[in-house]
Amino acid sequence: MSLPPSTLVPTLPLTSQPLPFSSLQGRAGFSGFPSPAQDYEPRTLDLNTRLIKNPTQTFYLSAAGDSMEGWGIFDGDLLVVDRSIKPRLGHILVAMFEEEVLIKRYALYQNTPHLCSAHPHYPPLPLEGTECQLWGVVRAVIHEYVR
Amino acid sequence: MIGLVDANNFYVSCERVFDPALEGKPVGVMSNNDGCIIARSAEMKTMDIPMGMPSFKLESLRKRGDIYLKSSNYELYGDMSARLCQLLRDTCPAVSPYSIDEMFIYLEAFSNQQCQTLGEWLRRRIRRHLGLPVCVGLAPTHTLAKLANHLAKQATHYQGVCLLTGKDAATTALLKQTPVSSVWGVGRRIAERLAISNINTAWDLREADLRLLRKHFSVVLARTALELRGTPCLQMNALDQPRHRIMTSRSFGQSTGSKTEVHNALRQHAQRSAEKLRQQRSLTRAVMIFLNTNRHRRDQPQYFPHAMVPLPSPSDDTRTILEAVHQGVEQVYRPGYRFMKAGVMLLDLVDAEQHQLSLLHQPPRNRYPYLMATLDNINQRMGQGTISFGMTDADAAWQLRCGHRSGRYTTRWDELMKAGTHPGAIKQSALRK
Repeated sequence: MSLPPSTLVPTLPLTSQPLPFSSLQGRAGFSGFPSPAQDYEPRTLDLNTRLIKNPTQTFYLSAAGDSMEGWGIFDGDLLVVDRSIKPRLGHILVAMFEEEVLIKRYALYQNTPHLCSAHPHYPPLPLEGTECQLWGVVRAVIHEYVR
Repeated sequence: MIGLVDANNFYVSCERVFDPALEGKPVGVMSNNDGCIIARSAEMKTMDIPMGMPSFKLESLRKRGDIYLKSSNYELYGDMSARLCQLLRDTCPAVSPYSIDEMFIYLEAFSNQQCQTLGEWLRRRIRRHLGLPVCVGLAPTHTLAKLANHLAKQATHYQGVCLLTGKDAATTALLKQTPVSSVWGVGRRIAERLAISNINTAWDLREADLRLLRKHFSVVLARTALELRGTPCLQMNALDQPRHRIMTSRSFGQSTGSKTEVHNALRQHAQRSAEKLRQQRSLTRAVMIFLNTNRHRRDQPQYFPHAMVPLPSPSDDTRTILEAVHQGVEQVYRPGYRFMKAGVMLLDLVDAEQHQLSLLHQPPRNRYPYLMATLDNINQRMGQGTISFGMTDADAAWQLRCGHRSGRYTTRWDELMKAGTHPGAIKQSALRK
């Protein structure tokens, strides 16, 4: 009685190449020691997951000017701007002010909301009665010491 | 319900996100090579500047500062489109992109009121989070959703979100006002033929006899009529479905008669095509190249050759395709013509996994899948053209003209948008450098 071809036996590929065969010259294997840390799932820290909470809504901008140095933003610094954050007092914002894109701190000055800089030359800009449009909230500033 | 989210003047809107000073001004985006206008802001539309207007005719307006013209910045538009799609995926059960600026969303099991609310919420959210203005059309079918979107854009009282239930009096009234040519899938030709049969409005088409439509026009048009009745019968094919042919072609920045330059352009298109081919995991069995002279220059000799080069065995190896391109150029290139456009088409594609090996031919020897995969990987990570075969000359005449391109703000580190710490800071810091 002939058996149907077993599905367990893999069919051989049709090839002109000789099939591999085992020989005594095959090498004996040896293994290294397993890492004692292997159960601790090493997941290297990823700066992206720390600084970018909403990748779709995050944009990178480059800072220009010296009047925010007091709050740690220097000329040429990289700004990580998240457009999905609702601005709150104390946040550093990117905003459109009279056709210019500005980085300012959103804070109270004389008890009304203002856009403030960290430089005495640039007095706080009152928000009331002006056409100021929010672009995004600065989540982080990256200052590269070595480039 | 099916929703269509469509960005308003998408290319212009993308430009405005990163250059907010363009808000409220007449802005146009030009085609590849700055040839003609392909996108206009609402302000430019009211100035009687039509689509396809040659850019050189607008040069004086631009110089006077009356209008703003931008070279097309596809890297930016592509990235913003991907963000739009992702934002929708984050909030809707199913999304399928229809084009760079239109996405269908599928809202089964939502009530009409919920759909309306979601539409309004999405519109606000996209505007705030991405800076893009969009309109949302909601309806039971694709065709009606497309119409609803059109209405949301036209009539301001919808405030950007229009829902058509398909069965109520409002839908009826709207369909009666809509010329049949505004219906999705009804071209000008068909509209003319429909007019003879006294079908002038979308409503007439909806009420038309399906059997007659099928008999005198097509099944497709009968389906459109059904869709207008609110019966869904169109299904979208995924955009990433493998294509049957792949083409890369481009007009030259300036016409050229040089064989080397034509060949180099073709080489670049071939490499891009090969990359697309591998992305969809196909092999090509034939490579076609074509060259065009400038049809509009009656004073110059005209020549529109093409050459088809079959490959000995299906391949996705850039080098095999480049060899075929070389053969093709040798076949058809003639000196004395000024070429304006060149293209490479990969035809007769087969699935890389399923293709039949020939009994007569040796299995392809020089398939180095790892080499090609590494190449694609590097180019995807570090930007297109980081690694390419042979040197490409960035100043060659055939390279794209894009004199007014804005920064590629989301894809290049050295072209980021700038923000000043005080008024005038951006200009000052630019002067210092």
